[in-house]
Amino acid sequence: MTSTINMPHDRHPRSSDWVGRQFSRKEDHRLTTGKGQYFADILVPGMLHLVFVRSTHAHARIKRIDFSAARALPGVVAVVTGADIKDQIKSLPQPVVVPALPARYPTFWPLAVDKVKFHGEPVAAVIARDKYVAEDAAELVEVEYEPLPHVRNMETALDPAAPLVHEGWPDNEMFALTFTGGGTAETQAANDAEVDGLIRAADVVVKQRYRVHRCGVTPLETRGALATWDDGDGMTAWITTQRPHIDRLAMSDVLDIPAEKLRVIAPRDQGGGFGVKAPFYREPILVCYMARKLKRPVRWLETREEHLMSVSQERDQMHDLEVAATNDGRIVALRDRGLADNGDGCEGVYWGYLMPFLGAALLPNAYDLPKCDIKIRVACTNKAVLSPARSFGAFPARFALERSIDKIARRVGKDPAEVRRINFIRSLPHVTATGVNYDSGDFLKVWDLLIKTIDLPKFRAEQREARRQGRYVGVGFGVGAELSGVASSVLVPMENQPGYGAATVRLDPRGKVLVFEGDAPGGQGHETTMSQVVAQEFGIHPNDVIVAHGDTGTTPFGSGTIGARSGSYTVSAISIACRFLKKKIARIMAHDLKLDADPSNFVFADGQIVFAKDDNIRKTFREMVERIIMAPLNLPQGESGGLEHTAFFEADAPMICFSAHACFVEVDAKTGQFKITRYVTSEDVGTVINPQIVEAQVQGGVVQGISNALFEQFVYDEAGQQLTSTFENYKLATAADVPSVEVHHEAGTPCPHTPLGSRGLGEGIPGAVPGAVTNAVCDALQPFGIEIDELPLRPDRIWRALKAATEKTAAE
Amino acid sequence: MNRTVSITINGEVYQQSVPIRMLLVDFIRDVAGLTGTHVACTFEGVCGACTVHLDGEAVKSCLMLAVQADGHRITTVEGLAVDGELSVLQKAFNDHHALQCGFCTSGILMNAAEFLKVNPHPTESEIRSALVGNLCRCTGYAHIVDAIKDAAGRTG
Repeated sequence: MTSTINMPHDRHPRSSDWVGRQFSRKEDHRLTTGKGQYFADILVPGMLHLVFVRSTHAHARIKRIDFSAARALPGVVAVVTGADIKDQIKSLPQPVVVPALPARYPTFWPLAVDKVKFHGEPVAAVIARDKYVAEDAAELVEVEYEPLPHVRNMETALDPAAPLVHEGWPDNEMFALTFTGGGTAETQAANDAEVDGLIRAADVVVKQRYRVHRCGVTPLETRGALATWDDGDGMTAWITTQRPHIDRLAMSDVLDIPAEKLRVIAPRDQGGGFGVKAPFYREPILVCYMARKLKRPVRWLETREEHLMSVSQERDQMHDLEVAATNDGRIVALRDRGLADNGDGCEGVYWGYLMPFLGAALLPNAYDLPKCDIKIRVACTNKAVLSPARSFGAFPARFALERSIDKIARRVGKDPAEVRRINFIRSLPHVTATGVNYDSGDFLKVWDLLIKTIDLPKFRAEQREARRQGRYVGVGFGVGAELSGVASSVLVPMENQPGYGAATVRLDPRGKVLVFEGDAPGGQGHETTMSQVVAQEFGIHPNDVIVAHGDTGTTPFGSGTIGARSGSYTVSAISIACRFLKKKIARIMAHDLKLDADPSNFVFADGQIVFAKDDNIRKTFREMVERIIMAPLNLPQGESGGLEHTAFFEADAPMICFSAHACFVEVDAKTGQFKITRYVTSEDVGTVINPQIVEAQVQGGVVQGISNALFEQFVYDEAGQQLTSTFENYKLATAADVPSVEVHHEAGTPCPHTPLGSRGLGEGIPGAVPGAVTNAVCDALQPFGIEIDELPLRPDRIWRALKAATEKTAAE
Repeated sequence: MNRTVSITINGEVYQQSVPIRMLLVDFIRDVAGLTGTHVACTFEGVCGACTVHLDGEAVKSCLMLAVQADGHRITTVEGLAVDGELSVLQKAFNDHHALQCGFCTSGILMNAAEFLKVNPHPTESEIRSALVGNLCRCTGYAHIVDAIKDAAGRTG
């Protein structure tokens, strides 16, 4: 099976319509010829190499650190421990990286002080002239630990007798919130009682605990930081980050460097992020501190082992879900008690708990659930903190609700597809019971296209026939109403940051265009997509546009490449800036030609600016741009020369995109082995800017979801040792493990709240996958009555369920 | 301990005294300055991002020492294009949007280039099996498979 989207393949279009056109990526030439500029490729003369010494214990007091042998190794420049920096570096939390939400925030420094709280926590660092020598020296650092009883998991963390991860806390609860029933204890209690009544009176109630394991979307490129210091100019730091502007402000606060003396640059090319590179992490703080202290460039390049020990761990949640419905499958009430295992909770911006927080807020998904009682608790344990991953917090919540809907369908004797259809939100805008705004779209249209594409009645007939032959095939569904960018109204309280999109558009005298974006992509194709938007607005070719991003020294403030905001917020800011400049050009052209015309009378197309009322009246784009920048004489009253504008886009209310997935499987009922035989999606991404890039976001997001649900798992043993710090042990899906996805975005609805009608898409895609795949396996095995409510979904789990079902049948 | 090696990379001879423990990938990146070859795992040979050709055969350069490549010919991703003209495979990767972040791409190109020499008319299943030594986190592999299939068709 190959990817099946049909797209025009015209690489030399005549029309000026660039939005919606397939256009091969501009980034690819350098990336396919080995000329990418990733973090590890950046060299600074005299650069020193920093290597961390990391904790070998889950929870232990640091008795003594002896680094004399390490320090004595030729080539070693410095060794530093927590005790050395405790009074030199401000601890986190610092205001810019603390959400405006009530939580307990643990105090921490870049290196452990007094005790270690997870296997892999940085304890000391060695800095040497040679990277091999730095590794040798790190091996020579001797740390004496006194092991402490540790907190193994979220189930035991909240036990009053549990050891404390953070000394001075009354217990291990970092965060707890009720998402429904209003703002006071009284209104919440009344809501809970109402939900309780509805559940008790309902025809059908499905009650189940769902458990999603610790896994995430580790990018192929690890993290890194490289900092230089100059007493006059201050600091320049290259950091693998989705949020250079936030890193700059946070670093300025923590190290007391005046903000104007600090420039953070996200490398031009980054090897994936998926949320993992969005937090303000501890390691870059130490790199920057040491560069200033030594007045020499210092670099830390994370190893894969360090990466898998300390970041990319998400999802780890449990949901006790009760869903009540009528006899025809209409959901009337929902109760969720969520619990998350947040590790030590030490992480700037997210603090690990923001993922389960948002996951609970997004739990209602695309379903009309007027009465909900949703509460979560987030516990600290002796593990690495949760760090963000695509489908931010929502992956476990999506899994729980999608599984419940299939069970309701079986109880009421309807197809799971039909039960979904009757429960979808039918009219938008809509505000969920958790207070999340869904701005626009048409869920039924997207859903109906999916069901039509897969020809469900035909499949059900095939399924019946297959079962007669002893073959078990099934279909499962999952959907996602996901963030399309994050509005300031959400992001300011959630992350203490603005949500607006920002872009500077600068025209060059030769008629070329430069775009400056403050976010920092990692493979999403911003240079191509944004060039197409500029080309559309100015009627020029995308190759005449250059997009620069990620450098706080040159770009407007941006909160980062997060939450699918590039295709929603950032491209909108670009459009607004272009339109502002077009008006200026048109005004000056009307003035030059002595036309009584409004700017809207000028059409920008094919490199020309044409007077719409008489298309013989035209000028080239380049001559007008050159005239305004280089010959600013005889301008209209009040007009100035030059063509550059920075625009900000803010949506009035949060926006969404939507996607619906159908997964087909065949299961071997003897072994529990199964194969995904087909995977189809339909989504509403609004106006599509580049169909190939949109399709690729879906392909990649679905496979990440499959990889998480089926293969990846971070494992900690009884002693709190992390056993999965290599790609041998932490298995990612390979090409042979996954299908090609059939992607459809024909049923989309242009977003009425963005200038182009576009929606951001990439972030939420994996969320619909675990429900779809698990539902498919359970659908296939309905003759055995099997339900699987815990991930990962692996043959051994299915085999055990089959065995239990067979034994039960035999006993009866 | 150092030893002088002479390694030909993309037709250019690099003669250099290096520590005997230096990995071939570090020689390629740090000594020759060819940064198209990437490292994404802990030098365990799982991610495939460091794949290069050793005397025409695809190998993972993190699993070899530089001294083992002494006297051999290496081709890296920088050597795939000839006189600035992209190979059919490189073009197919662009046409099919077979890369997103690009970090795995060099290794996949080098693996696929050798694979297509051995198997010029592969099935989809053969292509997918041939790719199990390369991890890609962004694309979900579909477009990579499409690109390799298309390149096979264009050269075959």
